[in-house]
Amino acid sequence: MSSTSAIEEKRLDHVQHHFVNSDQQFESAKMGMWVFIVTEVLMFGGLFAAYIAYRAWYPELYLEASTQLNAFWGGVNTFVLIGSSLTVAMAIRSAQLNQIKGLIINLYITIGLALTFMVIKYFEYSDKLAKGIAPGNYYTYDGLEHEKANIFFSIYYMMTGLHGIHVTVGIGLMIWLVVKAKKKVFHSGYYTPVEITGLYWHLVDIIWIFLFPLLYLID
Amino acid sequence: MATSEASNTTYKKIQVRRYKPEENPEKHYLNEEKGLWAWLTTVDHKKIGLMYLGAIALFFLLGGILALVLRTELWTPARNFLDADMYNQVFTLHGAIMIFFFLVPSVPTVLGNFILPLQLGAKDVAFPRLNLASFYIYVIGALFTLTAILTGGVDTGWTFYTPYSATTGGSVMMMTMGIFILGFSSILTGVNFIVTIHKLRSPGLTWAKLPLNLWALYATSIIQILATPVLAITLLLLTMERALGIGIFDPNLGGDPVLYQHFFWFYSHPAVYIMIVPGFGIVSEIISTFSKKIIFGYWAIALSSLAIAFIGFLVWGHHMFTAGQSSLANMVFSFLTFMVGIPTGIKIFNWLATMYKGSIDLKAPMLYIMIFLFLFTIGGFTGIMLGALSVDIHLHDTYYVVAHFHYVMVGGMVMAFLGGIHYWWPKMFGKLYSEVWARIAAAFIFIGFNMTFLPQFIMGSQGMPRRYFNYIEQFQPFHQTSTIGAYIMGVGFLIIAFYLIHSLVKGKQAGSNPWGSRALEWQTASPPPLHNFEHIPVIINGPYDYHKPMSEFQLGVASSHNGHHAEDTVNVPDTAPEKA
Amino acid sequence: MSGHHISSAKFLWGIAIALFFLTFITVAVTWIEIPEPWNVVVAIAIAIVKALLVLLFFMNLYWDSKFNSLLFVFSIIFFLLLIGITLLDTMYRVDPIPAF
Repeated sequence: MSSTSAIEEKRLDHVQHHFVNSDQQFESAKMGMWVFIVTEVLMFGGLFAAYIAYRAWYPELYLEASTQLNAFWGGVNTFVLIGSSLTVAMAIRSAQLNQIKGLIINLYITIGLALTFMVIKYFEYSDKLAKGIAPGNYYTYDGLEHEKANIFFSIYYMMTGLHGIHVTVGIGLMIWLVVKAKKKVFHSGYYTPVEITGLYWHLVDIIWIFLFPLLYLID
Repeated sequence: MATSEASNTTYKKIQVRRYKPEENPEKHYLNEEKGLWAWLTTVDHKKIGLMYLGAIALFFLLGGILALVLRTELWTPARNFLDADMYNQVFTLHGAIMIFFFLVPSVPTVLGNFILPLQLGAKDVAFPRLNLASFYIYVIGALFTLTAILTGGVDTGWTFYTPYSATTGGSVMMMTMGIFILGFSSILTGVNFIVTIHKLRSPGLTWAKLPLNLWALYATSIIQILATPVLAITLLLLTMERALGIGIFDPNLGGDPVLYQHFFWFYSHPAVYIMIVPGFGIVSEIISTFSKKIIFGYWAIALSSLAIAFIGFLVWGHHMFTAGQSSLANMVFSFLTFMVGIPTGIKIFNWLATMYKGSIDLKAPMLYIMIFLFLFTIGGFTGIMLGALSVDIHLHDTYYVVAHFHYVMVGGMVMAFLGGIHYWWPKMFGKLYSEVWARIAAAFIFIGFNMTFLPQFIMGSQGMPRRYFNYIEQFQPFHQTSTIGAYIMGVGFLIIAFYLIHSLVKGKQAGSNPWGSRALEWQTASPPPLHNFEHIPVIINGPYDYHKPMSEFQLGVASSHNGHHAEDTVNVPDTAPEKA
Repeated sequence: MSGHHISSAKFLWGIAIALFFLTFITVAVTWIEIPEPWNVVVAIAIAIVKALLVLLFFMNLYWDSKFNSLLFVFSIIFFLLLIGITLLDTMYRVDPIPAF
């Protein structure tokens, strides 16, 4: 496993008093994050349910409205997020191998990619808002024939908006991890926060993996 | 002494000795951390449980006062002291407060937080800091809601149906945001309980020996994590509907109001099981202890909690029979609703069988459970009756529904909660309360409750609609009986508050195990020490094995480094702490 | 330390490249005319494969306790129940008056 000093291996200052050992604590934290992931799936699931109900009622609406979404930039964002999943997995690997510098670098890259995602999102949104494609009452675009076009875009803004909030939270979490990593909190015997933030981040990626074809690639 | 498990379980030997619980402890969790700041920043599950107790008692008082306001206004059909708009706000608040701020949290956050680690032999829940965060999230949600009340009120009913809720004035957004925030408290409690039950069990505590109280809390936590997020997104969408007019639920904007109801009830039906299933857990504990008998049908009761959790997710449309659903959906939901009564019925029969030929001791906790069995059965039956499509067409939105849910929620859940409070009060505070006053209060509550809600069944079946500010002459005697009953019930609750608080000051010292239970929480001092046990408990029997001597329930690991002599060696299934 | 599977860098890159490739396929498939509703089925199927790769090999479910996988499976089951039963209503309504 780790090739670095035995001193790091024996660091047990992270074990909380109600746990028997470090492994029990780690496995508990992981299970707790998976339970939380269940709640996220159900929360986004509600939005997907609204999407499905309306698509079943008005398939032609989705077909028409989706042309306003830029599949190219949506695709770029997909590559960006998948890349960030790779780098966060590499960050965890670095922590497991006690390579704290590698951990920090990989976290920085992940943050960079996440910011790229948000920048592209910013341009997508501002482009639409300039045309009058806004959520709900503020929708004023008349380039689409379907009278329920505002509903498609309400769903679009809710789904991508909530997803974007989750990306932002993820960025915040990873910045916090960098701060902690620089303070030498993490080592091969304790990297639990990195692990569970990684799980959260992969979930954010998975949600986008479904959002992309369902919103951008309706042909 | 080893139980017969499946042959692929590995066993390990543990050196044990008997650890008798300390009587009349000098130091315990209430005095080991001193001062207000220690309480506000505590991560001790027991103190967090007590802080929740204070909070929900406050909300129960508020919700109860609102109920009395409603019932007083309904003394005559004419306006008494509330006008119609105000009346609508009062019943909205009564419902929202009672459901979200009292019933949903009550058992899990108070009794669950306090007792769960004790019953597992653990030092705390898996995530103590998250537990404290759950409490503060509850407080913040409560503050939002109180602000909503003070800044314009809400008159949509606790169900917030669209399009009215999306377009009406008032502080709907503030209240929905308050409940949204509260939902996270519920979710985080669920996360904590699931991981704690999986990971923090004492040596020898296999799933087959888990107290039924914990099976119930486990099933409840599963419901919490699956259902509450859907409420969260529904309330978020409603808020966006008001703020931005997104139009998913408002027909004026091209949306569908029935879709709102689907999303709302997908949470709110399982929510009623979040409310009652922990109560079922309490019932199992109390019936076994006060019958001095092993529970009948352990696995039936354990697995029926899980069955209720699952089937409970499939029936939400029975709240929407008259809303404009397709007939196909109506029929499917009606059929599934009949199914959901079965696991509950199984529990009732198993509880009765437990009492049969038991040595029944009708102390206060048991008294409340007997009341529970009677009232909850009525409530449950009437629920099935409402589940019949053709019958519901007439009874939907009448007082029949109001009576049904009060029988299950108050007659069921609140009675079970009171039973639990009376059962575990000596453990939590080391004090005994007056049995005499407890019986008097129970009588007031039982009589008052039936007087309040029995007439409502009759009224409802004769057509009295719910949420109505006035009514026709023929219903007045029923309304008046109901109002008198409500006041009698209120007196009962006040008596409880009085003697419980009195017990804290002047009560007799309770021993570690006043009820003679075999369960693990009774094998430590009352009140317990800060870290629950002074040893690591070792479990060799099930929690309802009254035929085994008490000494076998007080075993703990005797390790050389704490200088304790081993008295015996036991063989227990190897539940390694890292594995689920 | 048990239960801490460490993937090689090569392996992680391999999964990432598979995901990039599948993303390209996701887009390429829209250039072919597939009749409704199969075009949606294909898009979802590809997304499911990508999600599985992330779940199993980035989130390490392949090497982890089975209970964690069970948790995720259950979340999907209940999500499917939510949409399935809701659609039993929304797709089978008979309009008493024509929709506007």
